[in-house]
Amino acid sequence: MPKITSLAQLHEIHQQYAPLLDSRTNGQGVEGGERLLLVCGGTGCHASRSEQLVADLQTLIAEHGLEGQVRASITGCFGFCEQGPIVEVFPDGVFYVQVKPEDAREIIEQHILNNRKVARLLYTNPATGEQIETQHDIPFYQRQKRVVLRHCGLINPEDMNEYLAAGGYLALGKVLAEMTPETVIQEIERSGLRGRGGAGFSTGRKWQFARTYESGEKFIICNADEGDPGAFMNRSVMEGDSHAVIEGMAIAGYAIGASQGYIYIRAEYPLAVRRLEIALDQAREHGLLGKNILGTGFDFDIDIRLGAGAFVCGEETALLNSVEGERGEPRSKPPFPAQRGLWQQPTIVNNVGTLANVPYIITHGADHFRTMGTETSKGTKVFALAGQVKNVGLVEVPMGTTLREIIYEIGGGVRNGEFKAVQTGGPSGGCIPSQFLDTPIDYESLRDIGSMMGSGGMIVMSDKDCMVNIAKFYLDFTVEESCGRCLPCRIGNKRMFEILNKITEGKGTDADLAELRDLAQVIVDTSLCGLGQTAPNPVLSTLEYFWDEYLAHVHDKRCPAGVCEQLLRYEIDPETCVGCTACARVCPVSCISGAVKKLHVIDQTRCVKCGACMEKCKFAAISKN
Amino acid sequence: MPDVQVTIDGHQVSVPANSTVLDAAKVAGIDIPELCAHDALKPIGACRMCLVEVEKQRVLHPACTFPVSEGMVVHTASDAVLGARRFVLQLLFSERNHFCMYCQTSGSCTLQDLAYEHGLTHWEFDRAFPKMPVDASRQFFVMDHNRCILCRRCIRACDELVGNRTLGLKNRGADTMVIADMDIPFGDSSCISCGTCMQMCPTGALMDRASAYMGATDEITRVPSRCSLCSVGCGVELIVRGNRVIRVEGDWDAEPNKGLICEVGRFGLLHERRQRVRKPLVKADGALADADWDDALQKAAEGLKSAESAVVVSGFSSTEAAQAAVNQLPGKKMALGGALVNGDNAPLSVLDETDLIIVADVDLTEGYNYRMASFPIKRSARHRGVRVILLDDEPNGLDAWARYKWSPDEAERAVELAQHAEMPVIVYDQHSAALAQELAAQLPKAKTIGFAPEGNTAGLAEVGISEPFANDGFSAYYVIAGEAAEVPQELMDALAKADFVAVQASYREPWEDVADVILPSPVMFEKDGSLVNTEGRSFELKAGVTTRRPSEVEVIERLGALL
Repeated sequence: MPKITSLAQLHEIHQQYAPLLDSRTNGQGVEGGERLLLVCGGTGCHASRSEQLVADLQTLIAEHGLEGQVRASITGCFGFCEQGPIVEVFPDGVFYVQVKPEDAREIIEQHILNNRKVARLLYTNPATGEQIETQHDIPFYQRQKRVVLRHCGLINPEDMNEYLAAGGYLALGKVLAEMTPETVIQEIERSGLRGRGGAGFSTGRKWQFARTYESGEKFIICNADEGDPGAFMNRSVMEGDSHAVIEGMAIAGYAIGASQGYIYIRAEYPLAVRRLEIALDQAREHGLLGKNILGTGFDFDIDIRLGAGAFVCGEETALLNSVEGERGEPRSKPPFPAQRGLWQQPTIVNNVGTLANVPYIITHGADHFRTMGTETSKGTKVFALAGQVKNVGLVEVPMGTTLREIIYEIGGGVRNGEFKAVQTGGPSGGCIPSQFLDTPIDYESLRDIGSMMGSGGMIVMSDKDCMVNIAKFYLDFTVEESCGRCLPCRIGNKRMFEILNKITEGKGTDADLAELRDLAQVIVDTSLCGLGQTAPNPVLSTLEYFWDEYLAHVHDKRCPAGVCEQLLRYEIDPETCVGCTACARVCPVSCISGAVKKLHVIDQTRCVKCGACMEKCKFAAISKN
Repeated sequence: MPDVQVTIDGHQVSVPANSTVLDAAKVAGIDIPELCAHDALKPIGACRMCLVEVEKQRVLHPACTFPVSEGMVVHTASDAVLGARRFVLQLLFSERNHFCMYCQTSGSCTLQDLAYEHGLTHWEFDRAFPKMPVDASRQFFVMDHNRCILCRRCIRACDELVGNRTLGLKNRGADTMVIADMDIPFGDSSCISCGTCMQMCPTGALMDRASAYMGATDEITRVPSRCSLCSVGCGVELIVRGNRVIRVEGDWDAEPNKGLICEVGRFGLLHERRQRVRKPLVKADGALADADWDDALQKAAEGLKSAESAVVVSGFSSTEAAQAAVNQLPGKKMALGGALVNGDNAPLSVLDETDLIIVADVDLTEGYNYRMASFPIKRSARHRGVRVILLDDEPNGLDAWARYKWSPDEAERAVELAQHAEMPVIVYDQHSAALAQELAAQLPKAKTIGFAPEGNTAGLAEVGISEPFANDGFSAYYVIAGEAAEVPQELMDALAKADFVAVQASYREPWEDVADVILPSPVMFEKDGSLVNTEGRSFELKAGVTTRRPSEVEVIERLGALL
């Protein structure tokens, strides 16, 4: 591929490739055009052997001599992970779910050869019981607005022509040929784009700071160190639309005056790393990275830096240290990275999601972007929906969508029991109770109810979840991931964890509860970085909204959700027990007494709550509560 | 940039724009407690002891890193601040073993002082009682992880100041631990025993073996003096208790070392194994025996008078002693350690400014000499990307810091690179003076630092003793040796052949076999006087302790009177 040397040439190439996507975007095939089977290559589907599925489909296509007429291709995450692996057939627009490699033959031989849809692979709406054929008719997608994920499930991330067909790099071309750095920054600022990594600082203003500092060298860093448990928004964008991230970085580089970028990505994302490497090579080959991009004199290149998987390295200053080869620990701010960052030079660290929004804003304009979202938070937000929700997956909604809409309309409701809380923002976020389900979510509203936007984790909890235990779980994570540099986070969180442990073991006191609250508040006030300052949020929010659960643990020595092992009581129902002695034999501490064919009794003072008896009992005579 | 106005606790001060709140507080005379901060180190804001309330800021900020800005209003003693400090201290005390009564640092401990200051009377949090190891694998000091508060001062000193980077961290969060190299015993590590980490430690985690439990802050006196054991002439503080020097520390305010000293300066004399000469010794029937001063001096005078004698003066003598030798003693005067090689020496501080250093056939990390000078070379290589070129055929302690290493025969390769440098510096000693001159002749921009042998060779030259020892067939010698241990073989051979030898020495070795008379000489802890270091700076030596023995000068004068 020769280098693209001007914006005009880029437009030409876009026109040339655009028909590639016609069948996918308007639902109509080109006359004599090929049929396409798009297979999800996202994280979850990949794990469910979707790569094998593509290979099998290709083998079958060859077997039936369909090459040139039918093609199977990988694409980015469809988001509907609950139902993966997903195959979408174009131009028919038929959406198959839970497809296994074994189903490949049926799809090819029935659907492709005989035009008979494979009914058993269609999505069934659990509410109505009817089968749904197309993606946009599935309730999961109806409330979504895919901006950041615009190319995921649409293009093949490893084929740059498809990105160019989708208008890729036209934003960069427009910026370089028609805009000054100042107007780029103004446009981004006017769009209202805020950092998608969680803190929500205005991206335009951040760029403006970096622009104003005089320096021989500046840097753009893409923060791809996604570390929240259960979160895979950034990963999906990088795996499904790597070029959008690269294009966003190049635009940012032009805006602030940087010629070098780094993508800091965790080594646990090998697929994302591979796709980024492919995309970087392609972009360089096309002359869209490197020297004199599109003949405008702008130089910009990007290198990948692998992180070793420390949560704290997602904090921008710890990330800088890690890129420099130092221990990944945060630096004191100020000075902020925009003033003194990587190797003490002005540096912008932007989240993957933020950067992926940038080309969209340039292409569609700030005014269009502003039509989405709330007064203070514009655009959309991707959430990784998980926990006790029926449709686990990746959802993108306009800011201002309510939690209820996400959980019930998109997520399909609570999976196991009644809704209790939803946790947003990862380990740094808070647990939001049901009274806030109708809160339109944006950066401010989430903060006001004691949580945060964070990078977009959203974990639903039901009445089977113990909130004290949940707080302990998150704190365990933070204690494990604390870098150890500043004292409140290093020791304070550990002390909090110990107190929570005491409470879940039924050894908590009122003094512990008071101390927990004090500790949490002071850690927020005194920690060095965002990790420490937000680590107590799960504790603070559960103390606030689920105080009664704490009291039940401390006063009644009872876990209302029946989760905390040490607070459980195993009891034998005298009506059901047949005296088979199985439980007494399996008990590791021999605390069950009773003669053959007589009622057995558990000595509560000696029981270690291991649950072995309950598992062993064939008559379901043993219950825990 | 113009100064900015800052209000701290109601005091308005004007400070340079690049100051931190801590700097400004110092100007305002307001004390803000600190644990991880140290004037010689870059602040990292880790310990959170110096948290202050800055108006219009959401959270408390550490004074050590927070930059001032115009009109900033700071509160250092508000309820929030004091509460946070007490909280930080409570947490610190809950982390590891901080039972002061068993700690050797009790009474000299920053952490303990702060606890008293903030009224900590009991533990608020449950203590974890982790079992932490004690690493006692080093000869001179011990690392007790139980007392460590992870402030990282030791690690930063080892890295930022000494450039050695032996100390580091392993694990993270509450499991964080200070380690040496890749977590090997401290004693087997790349540590060079300079002890800077120990001097930095604000608690009892790094403990000096020699002075452990020997005296807390209010039981000791600190006597600022100089180390006269090599020609760098580092500023030191002699830590004295009961007329005994228990420890030597670097003087943070002193040039050229700025608080750093080497293994020799810190531990050398306190761990010296040679036998001190405490009384005059006179050889009788082939063995040295105690004598009184009058007899010994008389014996020395007789021996020196009866033959053609020469005086050999070591660079361990003060300038005053050398002057007395010139004035009072007859015979030719020669310098024991060798000649002064350097003409116009640059100050050592150029090592922190240069962009290229050529180390000309000298190992600055071995033996008795100039070790302190390796620290700025190491830290420059480590932190400023300075290219270090070694011209040496032998293994050199700076190998790991050198960008290039060539044989001295290939000096032209170094010249080729150095020609393009802004300010190359050539470092050498008496053995490589010729090589250095050759290099300097081709590098007009170069600065040179030549190290004189021993501590005060430059001082000897000032009073006219500049000729190195040469065996000119004298039959009697008077050697003013001081602490000298490494003596040129040529001199020892000459002494062995001479008819009569009298030595004024601090230790019996290596003189007992060749000397007819040994007169006691003070060591540097016991001396008043002056010395001139290799940069040509004049320094004052101050005795940390008093002795009943006559001073160096007094002995020379009394002997002179008899000759």
